[in-house]
Amino acid sequence: MDENQFDSSLGGREHLPQEANSLRFATGRSIEIAAMTENILRPNKTKLIFQTLPVHMRRRVMSHNCKRLPRKLREAHLEQLKKSGLPPKQKRPSRKYRRRPGNLLSEYIRRQRRIFWLETHIWHAKRFHMIERWGYKIAYAPCDKAFRACYRATSAHCLIQDISYLIPIQITGPIGTIKKSFTTMTKQECGLSICAKANITGCREGSVHLYKPEQYPYGYIGKVDYLWEVCNEIFGTLWLFVHPAFSEEVKAILTKLFILTNLHYCSDDKYIVPTKKKKPIENLNQEENVNIIFLPNVLNRFRLTGPKSHAIMASSLICVQQNQDLKNNEWVSLLKDNDTNIELEEKSSYWQMLKEVRSSAELPPRLVLGLIVKDPRLSRPARRTKAIKETTCNNKLNSLLNIPNFAASSPLWNLNIHENMKSKMLSNTQFIERITKTQIVPGEIFENDPVIQSVPIILVQRPGSQDAKLKKIGYGCGWDIIMPSGYGLPFWQTLIMFGARAGGLREFESIALEMGECYMPPDCNSGIQNEIRIEKELKEKYFRLPPNKRVNYIKLAINSPFRCLWKILLKDWCNEQIQEFYVLRDKHTLQKLQESVDKKRPLSEWTQGNSCLIPVYLQIVKKGHMNCHAIICLPKLGDFEETAITEPLHNDPNARLRKEMRQSHRTHIKSVKRKNVKLKKRANKGIRVVPCIKKTSKIVPSEYVMKMRNLWLPPNVENVRNLCSREVLGYVSQGAFSFSEARSCGVGYIAYNALRTLLENGLNRVLIRNTSSRTYRMAILHIIVS
Amino acid sequence: MADGHLANKKDETKKKFKRAPNKNYAVKKRLPARPVEGGNVIFITKKTNFKAQLDKCCDLLTKGENEIILHGLGAAIQRCCNLALQLQTLFAGTCQIEVNTGTVDVVDDLEPLTDDLDYGAQVRHSSSIHIRIFRTVLLGAN
Repeated sequence: MDENQFDSSLGGREHLPQEANSLRFATGRSIEIAAMTENILRPNKTKLIFQTLPVHMRRRVMSHNCKRLPRKLREAHLEQLKKSGLPPKQKRPSRKYRRRPGNLLSEYIRRQRRIFWLETHIWHAKRFHMIERWGYKIAYAPCDKAFRACYRATSAHCLIQDISYLIPIQITGPIGTIKKSFTTMTKQECGLSICAKANITGCREGSVHLYKPEQYPYGYIGKVDYLWEVCNEIFGTLWLFVHPAFSEEVKAILTKLFILTNLHYCSDDKYIVPTKKKKPIENLNQEENVNIIFLPNVLNRFRLTGPKSHAIMASSLICVQQNQDLKNNEWVSLLKDNDTNIELEEKSSYWQMLKEVRSSAELPPRLVLGLIVKDPRLSRPARRTKAIKETTCNNKLNSLLNIPNFAASSPLWNLNIHENMKSKMLSNTQFIERITKTQIVPGEIFENDPVIQSVPIILVQRPGSQDAKLKKIGYGCGWDIIMPSGYGLPFWQTLIMFGARAGGLREFESIALEMGECYMPPDCNSGIQNEIRIEKELKEKYFRLPPNKRVNYIKLAINSPFRCLWKILLKDWCNEQIQEFYVLRDKHTLQKLQESVDKKRPLSEWTQGNSCLIPVYLQIVKKGHMNCHAIICLPKLGDFEETAITEPLHNDPNARLRKEMRQSHRTHIKSVKRKNVKLKKRANKGIRVVPCIKKTSKIVPSEYVMKMRNLWLPPNVENVRNLCSREVLGYVSQGAFSFSEARSCGVGYIAYNALRTLLENGLNRVLIRNTSSRTYRMAILHIIVS
Repeated sequence: MADGHLANKKDETKKKFKRAPNKNYAVKKRLPARPVEGGNVIFITKKTNFKAQLDKCCDLLTKGENEIILHGLGAAIQRCCNLALQLQTLFAGTCQIEVNTGTVDVVDDLEPLTDDLDYGAQVRHSSSIHIRIFRTVLLGAN
């Protein structure tokens, strides 16, 4: 029977063909193949991905942890998980893994992609509250609540702040052209112009108020510090240090003013740029031969405030004394021939002489001093110590009167050397290795080590208060230190180790308040942005409170507790619409105003005064406290005899409305809830229905909440002057307890016409009422001239 | 311009002798150089509360300081004397006073108010008083 099955060669009867036709073979099995591919392409849908794996490849927690799956299946697995609604939870990598240097660095770079970090960022982030402002991550205030300690540092010790976020702008060109362009932006009345003889030699730093071209007195931009680096009488280089809050404005205006045609980004290798985001921008005007370079993050700048800052500088900076010591530094060879004459000996002896002084307030005001110092790590003490200067009281007063000509020059201004300097700088590891391993006596510091390169820096003195009538002489004095990028942290740590106390952005506000200066005035864009931000924050805070803890501002007759309404204020005082307003900065006029305030002399009428705000410094006379946004009021006759003047309680018409609304809302919610319950019950029975209330996101408040908020704080304010029993003259924009005056002080702005009315009434004192209080307090008025 | 130059020359000759308010310059004061500082050295100012400074001195003396030194400059000389005399009556019989007078050179900076002028500086002399108050009867002796 079986014979039939055998091949013929084996003795059977079956004859196999000589060749096989693959096509016929395949067509014969086409149905089977189709079924198989169908099965492979669309696997059985009831199975999960990991269930398709053979048993020996399955792991227990596969469904939770996708890392247990083979890599090629992971994506599909995650897709499935998303569909099923389970969020795929990725476990955070362990701290040990995260802190590995390579991983840490990549993480840091990732975090800097959106916002820029300063060089001392990591040092600060460990100790400070960091905030995002002006495209930078900036330290706001130390975590240890050191408010009073920071004040004490400014008045008796030393406070150090990192202001490297100031953007240097280098303008090179003929002085005449620069002067001509800047005359449209600056005004003679507000102080010295940018090409004043006092500053053009480069020996002193200057500052100017910038306005939009031809818009004075409107269109204020901000106050800018500048330095000159003069090559000769005709051709010069100007360095502006522009605050990032208005740097974009300045950039746009400069581009327009100098008709810069050749706007392009520099190649990265030309300057040291930490990340690719902030590139130096170079603009060239070929006709006038003016070249402008914006150099964010090319220079570091620290601000030291306080009398001890001089001692700290004196002990942390060691000058290079001879040209020979510089020979080994590669950056020196990159200097041009005319720059190599660095005058090291004169400078180091001059610095030696300055060191003898006790406080920087005894030096020529705004002195600029270019030095070449040894690596700051060499002079660092082992422990945190207070730098104390034991001065010998020898009389060298005459040498301090004037600034020698060689003081200001510095190779730091030469942009060619920066990159080289950064690349040749020893990292901390290399530095420690150098000190501990290669020296004959390990750990002993050899200052003239050729490998450790010297650094060019620039010191700028700040005189602080110069008028004993307003503030004790020398308050707020100190040094600014400018150094190349890369050297920020070594310098910072050395200064800290010599006893400087670190401060943040909050200290700028508090120092400005103590000094009686305007911080972020309301007539510039940066000031307006600042006001909006503060208003938003305060409003959020206010509405987070439960209703019974909220201050009822309507009852207190305060209609804008979180923002000063300058335009409406000015409109109320002149009875016409105000489109634009400005803060008076004309020094001469301000001084005249101060005189008439002192002598209670009435002011003359001034047409420009309608849209003019006068900056004033206020001091509470006896009792009381002053906060931000407090109102400045006109006293009535007889107010000065009374001890406490209170605002009568006002009627709140919205209270009833709020109550009604709340009740109706409550009933509405109740009914909706009841309906939903009913619907749910029905749904359980098998009937599918859509629920009544759609769940909205929590970020956008509902219509009811918005209405309620408007009833708490009515949005449309039309009148501010005659709202309470005393007429409103102006607002306090910065107010707090001032430690240097031992009473509450503030900086505010008053409408010009209001000041006129005040003086017509023969008064030079005002009443001040906080937004959350009914009591008026008396305050003295000074006009801020700066 | 010619008039301006003349005015400048006049001012330069003037400013050596007289510290008059000037249209071209604003006078700014520098911090006077301080003598040796220390825990027992007190600089008397016009602004600080008199009582507070008196209390500070009393505290120092009662807490075992053998001598305190008071410095007064210019208009604060009178206050400094008053304070020392008050202390003398308060610590009658246990403290003695030694008074020195002197002159301190202080610097005034002339800040230009117009573009075509440079900074200037001038030295002014101010009288000063230095009072040493020291204990004659040591603490714990009685």
